[in-house]
Order: sequence, then C-alpha cells, then structure tokens
Amino acid sequence: MYEPKIIAYACTYCSYPGADLAGTSRIKYSPNVNIIRVLCSGRVSAELILRTFREGADGVLVLGCHFGDCHFINGNHRTAKRVPILQRILEFSGIEPERLRLEWISASEGERFAHVVDEFTDTVQQLPPMRQVLG
Amino acid sequence: MNRLEALRNAVGELLDKVEGVIALRNKSGHVAPHLFREREELNGLGLSPKYPLPATLRLIQNEYPEAKLGIVCRGCEERGLIEMAKRNQVELGNVTVIGLACTADEAEECRCAKPYPSVLVDAHVGERTEPVPDRVAEELRQKEVAERLSFWRSQFDKCIKCYACRNACPQCFCPECTLEEELWVERGRVPPPFPSFHLIRAMHTAGKCVGCRECELSCPAHIPMTALYALIRQEMGEMFGYEPGVDLEDQPPLVLPMEVEI
Repeated sequence: MYEPKIIAYACTYCSYPGADLAGTSRIKYSPNVNIIRVLCSGRVSAELILRTFREGADGVLVLGCHFGDCHFINGNHRTAKRVPILQRILEFSGIEPERLRLEWISASEGERFAHVVDEFTDTVQQLPPMRQVLG
Repeated sequence: MNRLEALRNAVGELLDKVEGVIALRNKSGHVAPHLFREREELNGLGLSPKYPLPATLRLIQNEYPEAKLGIVCRGCEERGLIEMAKRNQVELGNVTVIGLACTADEAEECRCAKPYPSVLVDAHVGERTEPVPDRVAEELRQKEVAERLSFWRSQFDKCIKCYACRNACPQCFCPECTLEEELWVERGRVPPPFPSFHLIRAMHTAGKCVGCRECELSCPAHIPMTALYALIRQEMGEMFGYEPGVDLEDQPPLVLPMEVEI
C-alpha cells in the first residue's frame, strides 16, 4: 500500500480555520494531506487542479464554506458548479473522478475536517499512484 | 433548384434590405468568408466546406456596431450565434439570418445533433435532414476509465500545439487565453503535457460548446476532441438542465449562482 500525496485547497475564512481547529483540538488525521490556503474556494480554477495532478498529487480536496457563509457571497457557488464538471472531464479523459473531491467545512468543524481527510485518503489509496497513471 | 441557387436567390433578396450579407465566396478553389454587398458578386457564392461565419460577424460588428447585416447560418452556426449573443459578442438586433440546412452527408460527417437552423432564421434554404448520433462519444462512454486514458493519451500525444482548435472556435473570443499562460501550459513543450491543454480547453468550452466541430475539422493531427466535449455537454444537460445554443433566454449555468435554500 502506497502513501498517497493529497493536496487540500482550503478557503481562508472557513475551511482553513476548520483545519486549524482540528489541530488545536489535538484531533488526529491522516498526514498525507498538504493544506494550501486560498482566499476562496472559488479561486481554485480547473487549471490549478489539473496542474496539481500533473505535479504528482494523487488526490485533490477542495474545501470551502457552506452555502450562505461565503465571505464573497457566492464564490463557493462557482466552485459547486465547476468541480462536478471537472470531475466529469477527468472521468471521460481517463482519470478517476474520485481523485477530486469538494467538501464544505466551516470554521467550527474541526472533527469533520479530520473525518473528510481520513476518508479521502482511504479512497485515494485504493487507486493507483498518479505517477503511474500519467507515466 | 439546387441549394446553391436557392441560397443565391435568398441572399440576393436580402441584399435589398441590408448593407451586406456574410457568406462564403469561392476563390481559387477554396471558400473564404466574404461580405457580399452587390448582386453581381453572387456568382462567386460558395457553400462548403463550412466555415464559422459567426466569428466573422463578430469581427465586423466590432468595427461597425450599427451596420445592418445578413448572415448565412447552418444549424451549428446558429447555435454558436446564440451562445455568442448571450455573452455580448454579437448584437442580433441588426442581423437577419438566412438558414441553410445541411445535407444528410454533411450531417453524417459532422455527427451533428441538429443539422438545420430553426431559432433565429428569417429565410430557409435546403431540406431538413435527420440528426446523427455521435457514435465516437457513445463508444467512449462505454469504455472503462483505463481504456479512455490510453485512448486519449494516444490522441493527445499527436497534438502539435498549433492552437488551430482554439483559433477556429467561434466561442473562443477571450482577448487573453489561459492556453497561452506559462503557468498552466508551458511554452516549448510539444505535445503539451497531460493533463493540461486539452482538458483546460474542455473546461473552458463547457457550457459554450455547441458541437459545431470546427476545432476538429481544423485539427491537423485529427484529434477527435469533440467527442469529449459532447459527453460534457450531455452531462451538463443532466446536471443543470442547460443545453448550449438552444434558447436565447437560457442563462449559462457557470455564470449563475446555485439555486439553494439558505
């Protein structure tokens, strides 16, 4: 079993504090995840996700605020539409769509953050390493 | 009366009412877009191969926004016009559309889902033919993920990064193109690394691509990229109930917020 490399794009207003809470609450979660803070989940463009895969990430998590909580009012609405489309594009071009996941995590959901990361790591671990896929 | 004769008559009639009609003109064995302004020019009127005339309309309207113009549109070109109008690339108020139905052979070649225009048209030329299912896309849908990967890897490896697909696309009108940005598609790497160029293009044409197949026809490496776009179009239809190029009033889903209860 290999250790997958997972990149999580976490929005600075909800999901990043959520991850922070997981840390300060001493909740254990998978060390495979590397968190990158972004201003809004709406900032995570398709090209950014594709480049992340190309650089060798085995899975990409996009974490944003719940609907109604977005600091930019509807930045996460864009993400909510963009990610499913990109998942289909990945699927039709031969990359497992399970490698990309979108989750809403608020600043108070430290436990949920840990749970999402653990579960996602398990999912990605079942898939072949991206290095192998991209050859 | 054949299709060319009928089109010539329709364009001739329209020339009395507008300042010019955008159509194809035969020139030294090829066709090229031309703004017909006099009836005498109509001897040179051409039909095929098809060419994205909405893109020409956009260029002319950029310079002459008030001009009263006519345009000859096939089914795909009409769908393209609708999507361009939604994004303020063309102004349809001053435009009269002559619809040109494709022959069964042309529809077959394009695997066209709607080989005739019907929404914006003021005059019809040619007989409507039946839609043709996209077999390449359907085959792709049946495949396993790993099979799709090897299929697309072998196709995308042929890419010489000439940008013909983007340049031919009537929906690719951005003044600055992501596909030219060093950060996402590195310069000097041919074929472009996977997954970048083609998947970025697929994402950026999602909700805009009307399946006119200009990209594929202009591709010197014969990459069947419209099969990918067709599948995404189907998926977006299911996800958001949106079909590009059908209705002028429908707003593209990617520019709208979600409809959710908060």
